Amino acid sequence: MDLKEFIKTATLTQLGGGLKSKAFSSSELTSAYLERAKSMNDKTNAFITIDEEAAFASAKNADELISKGRAKPLTGIPVSVKDNICTKNLKTTCASKMLEDFDPVYDATAVSRLKKQGAVIIGKTNMDEFAMGGSSGTSYFGAVKNPYDLTRVSGGSSGGSAAAVAASMCAAALGSDTGGSVRQPASFCGITGLKPTYGTVSRYGLIAFASSFDQIGTMAKSAEDCGILLNAIAGKDDLDSTCRTAPFKNCLKDIEKGVKRLKIGLPKEFFGDSISGDVKSAVFKAAKTYEKMGAEIIEVSLPDLKYAIAAYYLISSAEAASNLSRYDGIKYGHRSKKGKSYEDIIKNSRREGFGNEVKRRIMLGNYALSSGYYEAYYKRAVKIRKKLKAELDEIFKTCDFILTPTAPTTAYKIGSFDKNPVKMYSSDICTVTANIAGLPALSTPCGYDKNGLPIGMSLMGKALSEATLIRAASAFESQFEKREAGL
Amino acid sequence: MSYQTVIGLEIHAELLTNSKVFCSCSAEFGGEENVRVCPRCSGLPGSLPLFNRGAAELAVKAGLALNCKINNFSAFDRKNYFYPDLPKAYQITQFYSPICEDGYLNIGTKKIRINRIHIEEDAGKLIHDEKRKISLADYNRCGVPLIEIVTEPDIRSAEEAKAFTAEVALALKYAGVCDAKMEQGSLRCDVNISIMPEGSNTFGTRTEIKNLNSLRSIGRAIEYEFSRQKALLEGGERVIQQTLHWNDASGVTTALRSKEEAHDYRYFPEPDIPPIFITDEEIEFISRAMPEMPQSRKARYLSLGLSDADASLLIGDKALADFFEAALKGYQNPKSVSSMIIVELLRRMNDASVSAEDLKIKPDDLAVLCKMADDGAVSRGAAKDILKEMFDLGGRPMEIAEKGGMLMSNDSSAVETAANRILAANPKAVEEYKSGSAKVFGFLMGQMCRSLGKSANPAIIKKILEEKLNS
Repeated sequence: MDLKEFIKTATLTQLGGGLKSKAFSSSELTSAYLERAKSMNDKTNAFITIDEEAAFASAKNADELISKGRAKPLTGIPVSVKDNICTKNLKTTCASKMLEDFDPVYDATAVSRLKKQGAVIIGKTNMDEFAMGGSSGTSYFGAVKNPYDLTRVSGGSSGGSAAAVAASMCAAALGSDTGGSVRQPASFCGITGLKPTYGTVSRYGLIAFASSFDQIGTMAKSAEDCGILLNAIAGKDDLDSTCRTAPFKNCLKDIEKGVKRLKIGLPKEFFGDSISGDVKSAVFKAAKTYEKMGAEIIEVSLPDLKYAIAAYYLISSAEAASNLSRYDGIKYGHRSKKGKSYEDIIKNSRREGFGNEVKRRIMLGNYALSSGYYEAYYKRAVKIRKKLKAELDEIFKTCDFILTPTAPTTAYKIGSFDKNPVKMYSSDICTVTANIAGLPALSTPCGYDKNGLPIGMSLMGKALSEATLIRAASAFESQFEKREAGL
Repeated sequence: MSYQTVIGLEIHAELLTNSKVFCSCSAEFGGEENVRVCPRCSGLPGSLPLFNRGAAELAVKAGLALNCKINNFSAFDRKNYFYPDLPKAYQITQFYSPICEDGYLNIGTKKIRINRIHIEEDAGKLIHDEKRKISLADYNRCGVPLIEIVTEPDIRSAEEAKAFTAEVALALKYAGVCDAKMEQGSLRCDVNISIMPEGSNTFGTRTEIKNLNSLRSIGRAIEYEFSRQKALLEGGERVIQQTLHWNDASGVTTALRSKEEAHDYRYFPEPDIPPIFITDEEIEFISRAMPEMPQSRKARYLSLGLSDADASLLIGDKALADFFEAALKGYQNPKSVSSMIIVELLRRMNDASVSAEDLKIKPDDLAVLCKMADDGAVSRGAAKDILKEMFDLGGRPMEIAEKGGMLMSNDSSAVETAANRILAANPKAVEEYKSGSAKVFGFLMGQMCRSLGKSANPAIIKKILEEKLNS
């Protein structure tokens, strides 16, 4: 078997099967992925850290488990982890100068669950600084490049994870999604990205951006693979009190069932003028395909969608401003050499350690919370949030999930939004509602534009409906002609 | 012009939980720096708080002890500011929805209203190294649970402020909520003080004096600040709203920050912790398990016949009051037992600096001793000696009495013999007595008691001596 070719398209199930039948060992598999990761990182800049030594050590342990017949779905399989998720003794930087050399003393719960299954973590992926952005261009370590076109962004903030999966530098990856950061890069990079229901995956060890929006998501080449990864990390965690306590139900249940008799809502507000023609037609075409498969398409409406961006940016920035206050250079992280007094040290450390987008969000957040503005901005945004959530709950009484574009466009050229951050914010319009309402959403490829760039469509459902979304995405995949990045 | 002080207090009390409020580190006091820390209380990236529900129970107990309404729903908020003793750069507190509201506590006959009690986390400690000109942060105290008790501005003098703080401390000790050791910092007081002309109803501008950690400094700081504000107003100036620090050594308040530099805390609901729900049933359950509060214990002691002063003295030290009640079980004579404790035991305790928790004497044995004295098994003098030995070395009263030959003798013949001898040896004294000096009787009694030893029975001695002198 040509392992190098095999890994370009292999699913997690196929990899697991190959390990079990001893077609290859985990060490060989890890070697193959590491070779691609190392050789392509210059081009894509997908990884901030590649940890060969630890990877091979894990692979060796995995091979032992496999030979004893104790393999689990992820045993021995090389995966990567976004660099805002704590990995013990492995540098976790959030793509920021502030945490350039930060070495966590503990593993995030999601990471320890992967390790418990014997997964092989090959490295930490690049991202927008502190997960703030939609391009992975704000990284202190340089932008991530889209494997489909290296002059274009990979999307963000989990762009490194998306690119790594798209270029087969790893079999699957963990990302984080606060306003679309798993789904949008998945869409730009032609892979599948799943953001689960809020409270499904523990946030312990996920370096906080916006506490009431953040969720760890899974990224892979298929919906099933996203589900396999989610099953491994989801479920009650005593270390996070915002994590749901009921056991997580297998999200691969009924994956074969298809979409017959499912009701799919198309919310008209998601198909407005800001969405490009290519994207709209691809998603409408997908809707038609679902109809042919036996689903019923109905029109629904979310009239308050126009307030979603404002509400999202006000609340998430407020939480972010507070969450990032701890970075002062005193306890850990970048400490400025300038200044002796406490005030000077923290001011200079933060000025030097944070990039512009992070600073922007902190200022915006503090403004929204400041005395005199709290009522007008933060509190009002919270009201809109409640209203949007209620409207979505109503919509899901009439359909099983809604179908929308993931992003208004395909991947744009690197640097496009540098002078216009607010324009970049508005391109989150299709993804933020899932985070606002804490609902699950999945992006899967549904087409390519005239430049061959991937177009993604989003399926969003009611709370804990991951199995429905995976099943519907899987049904679409089975007839969709996917094009690899070709790197 | 005569001025009136108006005072409101914010009392911070450390809760007697084993662990900190948002992590499982030990909440104990003291020790090597930065050992009782973990990723949560030191604010490491990716860490999340976990609420210790034991803190809610203690807060409810505090609320019940202070006659508050307990809220079924309360929630946490973040108070954001930068300071080196605050690792997350925000303190988790309850700003919008406190756990208790609308309570009161009486000092004497005056009712002081309590606006709210809320739960929050303590900050760390800063140690200033003057030589190296650096400040060092110790996070051991970060995350220790506190309740903050906020009064209405009902207090009108330094004496009231001290009395109220002492009453709160006592109530919290009795409720098992806080050990109220001000010198260790487990109870701290911020004083909000303004002055207004006597008879006025319009409050003046207030200043806040932070972190007073003894009743004495509360009193001194209030008196100083009153004088300072009075001098300002009389000089035609205005009082500026400020946060002040009290320097106990120099006896002055100094400004920490002025209104212009006042923090904007940007309070918003804490997204990492779900709200606290307490049902009426749970409150009822906690209420039934509450220990007896000082004021009702005092009422009970008064009904037992103790004087107000004696009752107050006993309840002021819970361990001593507990000792008293345990002793009562052995000998149901409240006046006798309390008297022995207050007059004899307390004196020895104070002289030797021994606290009620550390007594060698057992309550049962004190009870037995009281009964022995009351029954006449030993004299009052002998009883004091027995008590001394029990205090110093422990032991049981009957054994000590027997061993020391202290059991009171009823043998009149020995007394007769001694009386004859002593009267014969002191003819001058006898003369003085017969010519009307009562004082000399005491001298003769003393001679008799010394001669007859510890088993001397003063009643018999007095009777026989009187008989012989008057014959």
